[in-house]
Amino acid sequence: MIAGIFDSGALPALQRLVQFTSQRHAVLTHNIANLSTPYFQPRDLDPKTFQATLRNAIDQRRASRTPTSGPLTLTDTEQLRFRAGGIEVTPTPTHQNILFHDQNNRDLERTMQHLAENTLAFNAAVELLRNEFNMIEIAIRERV
Amino acid sequence: MFGSLDISTSALVAQRTRLNVISANLANQNTLYDADGNYAPFHRRIPVFAVGDPATDSDRGVHVKEILFDRAPLRKVYDPGHPNADGAGYVAYPNIDPAIEMINALEAARIYEANITAAEATKNMMQTSLRLLA
Repeated sequence: MIAGIFDSGALPALQRLVQFTSQRHAVLTHNIANLSTPYFQPRDLDPKTFQATLRNAIDQRRASRTPTSGPLTLTDTEQLRFRAGGIEVTPTPTHQNILFHDQNNRDLERTMQHLAENTLAFNAAVELLRNEFNMIEIAIRERV
Repeated sequence: MFGSLDISTSALVAQRTRLNVISANLANQNTLYDADGNYAPFHRRIPVFAVGDPATDSDRGVHVKEILFDRAPLRKVYDPGHPNADGAGYVAYPNIDPAIEMINALEAARIYEANITAAEATKNMMQTSLRLLA
């Protein structure tokens, strides 16, 4: 019964988005902490891959007998392994920037941009989750 | 989420240690004697960072691995009347270049700020999550 409530609508997708953004936040703070560590290679999780995986899972559910309810089945990627209680991650090095003399290819501006975007995505997902929970609460109380 | 705050804090601690070392280098630009009063020109200290944080026993974050001595030759100043002058009349002064120290200090301060921003973002996210309960 409870499982049916929490597996319906946007809840599973939002849950995965919160899990992904909080994991990526840890990876990005790690990159910022090591801005001046020699031989450090920044790593990242690709949000595009995650979004594509999520899109596929939602499309799959839409094509099933219950288009708006039921759990989402996300396929594991090279970086992400989806478990029931969260996402296990393997961040991969980003070879985008020039290598500095201390063998660190830091990219401060882009990292801070990713951090800001990721925080916004996380906050948006949590706000939407809050709305969903409020709606469930209204349904349980049977009054607006 | 709380782990992210640990990561940022480890970087703040490391950069502050680095600033302490830089301050010591700047303060001792002309120091010729050690604490016991023996003639020993101050050698420049270099903080070395490494990935991982022993304080929280985590492989994420950063810490100061060791503080090395700069092996560059000491600065020789010709001063034959000086009591510590060598046979040729030169006195060895610390091998510290204030310009390099200032550049490193600026970099450390900027990276400290970047980590403060990251910690603020983490706190913001934690606050949003906590509002789910209220």
